[in-house]
Amino acid sequence: MAEQYAIEMRGITKTFGSVVANHDISLNLRKGEILALLGENGSGKTTLMNMLSGIYKPDAGEILVEGKPAAIDSPEDAKKLGIGMVHQHFKLVDVFSAADNIWMGKEKAGFRLKKSRYAEIGRMVKKFGFELDPQKLVRNMAVSEKQTLEIIKVLYYGAKVIILDEPTAVLTVQEIEKLFRVLHRMRDEGHSIIIITHKLNEVMELSDRVAILRKGEYITTVNTAETNEQELTEWMVGRKIDLNIQRPPMEKARPLLEIRDLTIRSDEGATAIDHVNFYIRGGEILGVAGIAGCGQKELCEAIAGLRPVQSGLMIHKGDNIVGLSPKAILEKGISMSFIPEDRLGMGLAPSLSITDNMILKNYSQAKGPFVDRKGGRADAEHVIRELEVVTPSADTPVRRLSGGNVQKVLLGREIKAGPNVIVTAYPVRGLDINSSYAIYNILNQQKKDGVGILFVGEDLDVMMALCDKILVLCHGKVMGVVHADKTTKEELGLMMTGALDLSHKYMDKPAGYARDTNITAEELEKLAQTKEQEEK
Amino acid sequence: MRFHVVKRDNCPLWKKLGLYLLAVAVALTLGGLVLLALDVDPMAYYSRMFTMGMVGNKIAYKTFENYLKVFVPLALTSVALSLAFKMRFWNIGGEGQFILGAIAAATVAFKLGSALPAPLTLILMCLAAMLAAGLYGALVAVLKVKFGTNETLMTLMLNYIALYFVTFLGETQADWNFFLDKTSVRPIFASFAKTVSFPRIPMGKFGLNICVILTFLIGILVFIYLKYTKHGYEIAVVGDSVGTARYAGMKVDRIVLRTVFLSACLIGLASAFKVGTAGVLSTSITDDVGWTGIIVAWLSQLNTAAIFVVSALIGVLHYGSTVAAATFARVDSSFANMLQGVILFLVLAADFYTRFKIVPVQKGGNSHGNG
Repeated sequence: MAEQYAIEMRGITKTFGSVVANHDISLNLRKGEILALLGENGSGKTTLMNMLSGIYKPDAGEILVEGKPAAIDSPEDAKKLGIGMVHQHFKLVDVFSAADNIWMGKEKAGFRLKKSRYAEIGRMVKKFGFELDPQKLVRNMAVSEKQTLEIIKVLYYGAKVIILDEPTAVLTVQEIEKLFRVLHRMRDEGHSIIIITHKLNEVMELSDRVAILRKGEYITTVNTAETNEQELTEWMVGRKIDLNIQRPPMEKARPLLEIRDLTIRSDEGATAIDHVNFYIRGGEILGVAGIAGCGQKELCEAIAGLRPVQSGLMIHKGDNIVGLSPKAILEKGISMSFIPEDRLGMGLAPSLSITDNMILKNYSQAKGPFVDRKGGRADAEHVIRELEVVTPSADTPVRRLSGGNVQKVLLGREIKAGPNVIVTAYPVRGLDINSSYAIYNILNQQKKDGVGILFVGEDLDVMMALCDKILVLCHGKVMGVVHADKTTKEELGLMMTGALDLSHKYMDKPAGYARDTNITAEELEKLAQTKEQEEK
Repeated sequence: MRFHVVKRDNCPLWKKLGLYLLAVAVALTLGGLVLLALDVDPMAYYSRMFTMGMVGNKIAYKTFENYLKVFVPLALTSVALSLAFKMRFWNIGGEGQFILGAIAAATVAFKLGSALPAPLTLILMCLAAMLAAGLYGALVAVLKVKFGTNETLMTLMLNYIALYFVTFLGETQADWNFFLDKTSVRPIFASFAKTVSFPRIPMGKFGLNICVILTFLIGILVFIYLKYTKHGYEIAVVGDSVGTARYAGMKVDRIVLRTVFLSACLIGLASAFKVGTAGVLSTSITDDVGWTGIIVAWLSQLNTAAIFVVSALIGVLHYGSTVAAATFARVDSSFANMLQGVILFLVLAADFYTRFKIVPVQKGGNSHGNG
């Protein structure tokens, strides 16, 4: 008799318009195993799993749960079949407590909200070995707590099969370890787990088997113990690839941009960046590490002139740029590109064509009342050719492009303008290996040309390989600036959570002060005066 | 068999047009059923409505002139609204802006009409109407920019203020109220048609009102403005993403104010055309163009050329139904409003099918498992 699987997917095909997201994919999940679903972005991992959890319906193919054919038409059906999914973007109600978020999806929850629900869910949390206050509101939770809540929710609904979509993207090193322990324990208790990821080290550490997708096609499944990272990459990408990131050595140049005692407020009025010091030299990549929402966005916006600065100095080549308009800062050669979670929010107009997006920052320089689309088209075609952007034409709206191509368009435009400082946040967010390496190459090329680069990133492995130095932020405070080739992941992780403070490692100067500063004594005096007033 | 909704690739233009035509045909069929229930022959009614009674009519040119009087304000208002809509500023205050523009134009006509030469009066009427309507619209934009108020609610409420103001003018007999006919015992609006009226270019018996030419001219200018100028580019970017516009160094507040002012100005111009042709103010001066214009702008998907085609068709619907009402006493002219609603509803439904299709779920596929 054939082995009975927890889930069997047979010949699943799903198309969106002309895009084939999944083509004839068959996937089996054994009972009590952790199966890693590995693939580059756009390879169809999430689409496939969304069909298991009832969000999409397959165009063709069938799904068997416990050996029986199942029609999963809605998340409700999936829940009844014991399938639960923790999405990349959490599906929680911000103003509800942990318990109420679980309660509202419960069947036979009754008409009345009873006090006893807190105790019941509290018991449940303990039973699975988590730590979570059932009365805590979601909006007061840290990201890792929200994820824990999502997992508890899925377990509470009685899921036997748990799907996690890129669960580690938002966690620190220590939190990832904790999550992995939880997943291992759940497996040992008999749950079957699918984890979607494109991080190879996690696959090796966590999973029992690995299934690989490439461009919507099923490639193979292997036992994790019998493979290695190089082999998995080749399956995933389809060819051999060098996994080393280059870090060209450069001569030390004068500081280009110096930030001194910078304080910035967030939209809610809280202090987002708290007396921060750092500097970027020409031909240097300075990484900024930190848990999501630690002030990275506010810092980028302030440098670009999009957010008012409370106090402090931003000295660019000796000139203070605090208080200048975004346009004036742009003209000084400071380029800022921020890739938000939805990838389109800042920097690009999604419904407009590539050509129209190319002229975004220089349209006003054209003479007369008309825009210069001819120049824009030439630029667009140049960027498309140079960076190998995949698009039907330069007239295609940016929203129709895939993530990697959108980011290439954005970076292409920024580089084309010939900046001397590039501030880039999450430039490889959600990109596959190929596109990521293309972006690293672009940045390295700029570095060789003497541009100073501030690289706000999330993947510590990448930052340790690419950056020269890494600045670690925790709740808006600098925890220290370390040399990327001398630090360890553990050290960075501890600094990110605030457990380790290296900001006064050197006795003679705080971290982030340049010895050969361009800041004049007069400006420093003024700064000290305002600081004194603040303290009074 | 199970069905599900699937995204469609680029829908060819002929298919799109076919779907829209089908939607209109279905709407007319539904309207036909209503007519049958009223014991009216749908074919006879529709043929009267769509020809606007011009066939076999000795004064058909007169009918066409009257039709153009309906078409001009509607087309111009729709074009004006599309400017604001392109920026995703939901100006549903076309009615109020139109009324205020009309009052301003009428004021100029009454006060200066007898003293100044007619062409000068007409130009001043247009300018006054544009200024009044433009400021009425810009007020909402200022509030939105300064305090983040919701423009949909604000423009909607200002509509009623304008409407009750013109009603007040129409019902208050007093020495200061120069809008009313002094010779009448009942309060009715006075006419200034004899002193000023937009000139017509005679073409045989038919006289082409100069407003028609101006409307087409403005349509072309707005098309160029939106498509090729820096301002038009800014409107597109602000409409698409305010964050991106700020990031690119655009002065978003100024762009919003400027565009809304311009949009409302053009609505004011439409009202000046209307008043200057009718020669009299009225509480129903707008003919609902502020509302219908929204529908026209959406049906045309904010495409300036399409706006002219759609407003021509909607104009036929409205004017035709008034003409047909003369023959078919049983059918009120508001039948056109009902038909227009059904058409909008079905065209939007057809729009869904241009982007999606419904197909049955297939079973099977090759199995090459990973077990």
